[in-house]
Amino acid sequence: MEQHPTHTHTEHQDTGTKEIWRTFWILLGLTIVELAIGFYMYKAGLQPGFFKNFLKGLIVVLMLMKAFYIVAYFMHLKAEINNLIMTIVVPLLLFVWFIIAFLMEGSSYNSLRNSLDRNHNEKSTAPVSPEMKGSKETPSKVTNEKPAHTE
Amino acid sequence: MSNEAILQKPADAVVTHGDHREGNGHSEHHHKETFISKYVFSMDHKMIAKQFLITGIIWAIIGGLFSVLFRLQLGYPNDSFPILETLLGKWAKGGKIQPEFYYALVTMHGTVLVFFVLTAGLSGTFANFLIPLQIGARDMASPFMNMLSYWFFWAASVVMISSLFVETGPASGGWTSYPPLSALGGASEGSKTGMDLWLISMALFVVSSLLGGLNYISTILNMRTKGMSMTRVPLTIWALFFTAVLGVLSFPVLLSGFILLLFDRHGGTSFYLSDIYLASTQQALPNEGGSAILYQHLFWFLGHPEVYIILLPAMGMVSEIMSVNSRKPIFGYMAMIGSLFAITILAFLVWAHHMFVSGLNPFLGSVFVLLTLLIAVPSAIKVFNWLTTLWRGNIRFTPAMLFSIGFVSLFISGGLTGIFLGNSTLDIHLHDTYFVVAHFHIVMGVASFFGLFAGVYHWFPKMYGRYLNNTMAYLHFWVTLIGAYLIFWPMHYEGLAGMPRRYMDFSQWVSFNQFGDLNRFISIVSIIVFAVQLLFVFNFFYSIFKGRRVTTSNPWDSNTLEWTTPIRPGHGNWPGEIPEVHRWPYDYGKDGREFIPQTEPVGAQETAH
Amino acid sequence: MAQTVPMAQKWWSGGKSPFNTEYGKLMRWYFLMSDAFTFGAFLISYGTIRYSSNGWPDPNEVFQSFPGLGSGFPLLFVSLMTFILIMSSVTMVLAVHAGHSNDKKTVIKMLVWTIIGGFAFLGCQAWEWSHLHHEGAWWGMNPFSNADGTQSTTNFTNFFFTITGFHGFHVFSGVVINIIMLIMTLNGVFERRGHYLMIEKAGLYWHFVDLVWVFVFTCFYLL
Repeated sequence: MEQHPTHTHTEHQDTGTKEIWRTFWILLGLTIVELAIGFYMYKAGLQPGFFKNFLKGLIVVLMLMKAFYIVAYFMHLKAEINNLIMTIVVPLLLFVWFIIAFLMEGSSYNSLRNSLDRNHNEKSTAPVSPEMKGSKETPSKVTNEKPAHTE
Repeated sequence: MSNEAILQKPADAVVTHGDHREGNGHSEHHHKETFISKYVFSMDHKMIAKQFLITGIIWAIIGGLFSVLFRLQLGYPNDSFPILETLLGKWAKGGKIQPEFYYALVTMHGTVLVFFVLTAGLSGTFANFLIPLQIGARDMASPFMNMLSYWFFWAASVVMISSLFVETGPASGGWTSYPPLSALGGASEGSKTGMDLWLISMALFVVSSLLGGLNYISTILNMRTKGMSMTRVPLTIWALFFTAVLGVLSFPVLLSGFILLLFDRHGGTSFYLSDIYLASTQQALPNEGGSAILYQHLFWFLGHPEVYIILLPAMGMVSEIMSVNSRKPIFGYMAMIGSLFAITILAFLVWAHHMFVSGLNPFLGSVFVLLTLLIAVPSAIKVFNWLTTLWRGNIRFTPAMLFSIGFVSLFISGGLTGIFLGNSTLDIHLHDTYFVVAHFHIVMGVASFFGLFAGVYHWFPKMYGRYLNNTMAYLHFWVTLIGAYLIFWPMHYEGLAGMPRRYMDFSQWVSFNQFGDLNRFISIVSIIVFAVQLLFVFNFFYSIFKGRRVTTSNPWDSNTLEWTTPIRPGHGNWPGEIPEVHRWPYDYGKDGREFIPQTEPVGAQETAH
Repeated sequence: MAQTVPMAQKWWSGGKSPFNTEYGKLMRWYFLMSDAFTFGAFLISYGTIRYSSNGWPDPNEVFQSFPGLGSGFPLLFVSLMTFILIMSSVTMVLAVHAGHSNDKKTVIKMLVWTIIGGFAFLGCQAWEWSHLHHEGAWWGMNPFSNADGTQSTTNFTNFFFTITGFHGFHVFSGVVINIIMLIMTLNGVFERRGHYLMIEKAGLYWHFVDLVWVFVFTCFYLL
């Protein structure tokens, strides 16, 4: 019934606990690096461009590393046998095309709207005047309260 | 079913079973069976399968009736039928179906048949029934979750049925429920309460299908009997396995799409809505920045795998039935598994071919064309293998076999038109015409129904210990096959001529009123075909109680494990030990023997599979 | 099936689990996989809408408050939330680990810490939501303008509240599961059963919630 070999040896327990804490420190370190990059992007006031995209790509890589450590060590997937690892990791590859297709579609939708829907283009690129910005009761607030005709 | 109670082995016969579950799981087998625990909240996979089947049959009658109603409208757009007003009240004022109701009928027909009949009724029935029996397990991995799966389906059914009776009518935005029609409550009558109930019902359905799917996958992978390696399981099991994988990975995406849609309906969000102009208020919506195409992507990310969820179980059962009744091994067993696998992968990569004319990025569309056309390869492998299985076989034309052959015929005819539709340039002309209607009805609707019928005719003796009546079965088959072609073949011509879907009256439309007689012909045939389905339903229920009794445990001389159980297997399936498996299930006509069951050890002179 | 099988065994030959595990854990894994697709679909929809917009608010401008300190601290509060969730993941894995050696006392201690962490996270989220609501943000309401000073659509807040709400719902159900586990442990259910597998399965769920947060955190607060 119980297929998990019970770890009764204390020294085994210790190495296990050690690994958990090691993983914790790695995760913490990765998060701090992520935050540092994010903070730098904000403070340096980076304009959209290659360098900013590069940093964002770096954050995504760090995110995936964190995901790896959580799944591999906290969820013990690394300790499972290969069959189980494969049945879980391989289907996740579907996300690759899922993400590429959807994001491509999003940016294509945007460029189509910008070139074909002049109203959209004007509205979405018009600056908000500074005194309106952030205050609650200004007309600049976009509210999509349910319009009357929907009921 | 009363006989079954007598012949049922006591539930305690199962104590020695293969210790698949956790400690507390055992207690489930010891409680005393009452009517409630045996027939209602049953945890026996066979009973749950029957529950799915019978619920599916009820839904099929309802969904079929809807199609008869709108076919009546399409065939006789200028006539009125007073009886309709008696039955439907304000939805058929003066005996004529009202436009809103027409849309509701079409929507409900699609939803009911795609999800409730051909998903729950088909894979729900046969996955539950066949998986434990054919892999040699006492029951599903988690009988309790299995029971929940049925009852969530039941709850979804109740909500969907009740949506038929609300004041503003059921959902009527098409079975795909595209926004803005589904997102704006004011868009039409059917976008009001009916749409909310539709979404709730579908959410419950997703839960049901997830509970079921997780169970099927874990059972198939984890609980096969000794010797039953993955290359020895019948193709039905492989097909049901991939079906479950498709469901588990794609239904959640639909759920996300529905949650966003609910927020658009009631939360004032604009995920799918942008500043579109409404004729009714003479104003643009206040919403900004949403994309209706996003919903279509999310929907079809499920929607396309969904058609394979419907089709794969039929393919699996057809492969099995064909091999048994040709008395020949299935041709290309590994190729069959490989093509099922390829179809499963491709199913996730091709969803946007439903959206070529939606404003999709044309470059992306061309990638989807390529991936879509790739599906032709595994499909062709499967057809080739079925035909070569039949080739020089010693064919027994049982009703199940006839339906299997019919399935292959329909799969070929419907699949070929899929190649037309998979090309984005041709799709500009064919999209939303009757050509599409004909294509998916043949390849997905009727073909899967044939798989379902084949399965019912083949495994009915195992389910109820009796045979279905053969005369009625043959009548059922021939009328359905010929009828299906007569209904859908002419629709290809209508579609090529440009006749669009979802219009209730073509009589005033000069381009298409030449098809008036043809439409009437199609309607008459569809009513006949529907009547014959009622004959099948009668046969089904009559035979449960009065059918010819099965006297041998293996009536089709089949190799698979389910026929090694008693004629009416009790809870736990095998009274003693679960048999061990020594060979693949397709040893027909080997070494001069007609069939060699999987349980027979491999002889010294034999080459094992 | 149950016994540990030597590595040389043929895994797929039937009569045993090819994964060397019982069905419950397998099912949990596959459930998490399907749940990953739910969250994936949400986040990908978010990305799609973001890609189809001309501008997007800068998260550093939006999320810059800290309770008691006022505003002007970008990323600080969310760092705290992330830290809390990672910490609770650590205590959870320690509970699972203690379960392997049938150490009931440690299991209880660690579960309690995990539950506290879960509640702390939910509290933080409640504070953040109510703070944003005070600033005028809600489903269908977006007081923030785009990073480049242009008018923003409501989809920034729409997605923020939907996705963090759905994640918060998962955290909440995870806390409920953990409380049930705690009660069962206190009652000695697992002790009698001889193994703490249930804790392991609850742990899988809890780590998954943490995992999702890694993605949500990155997508909403950093990118």
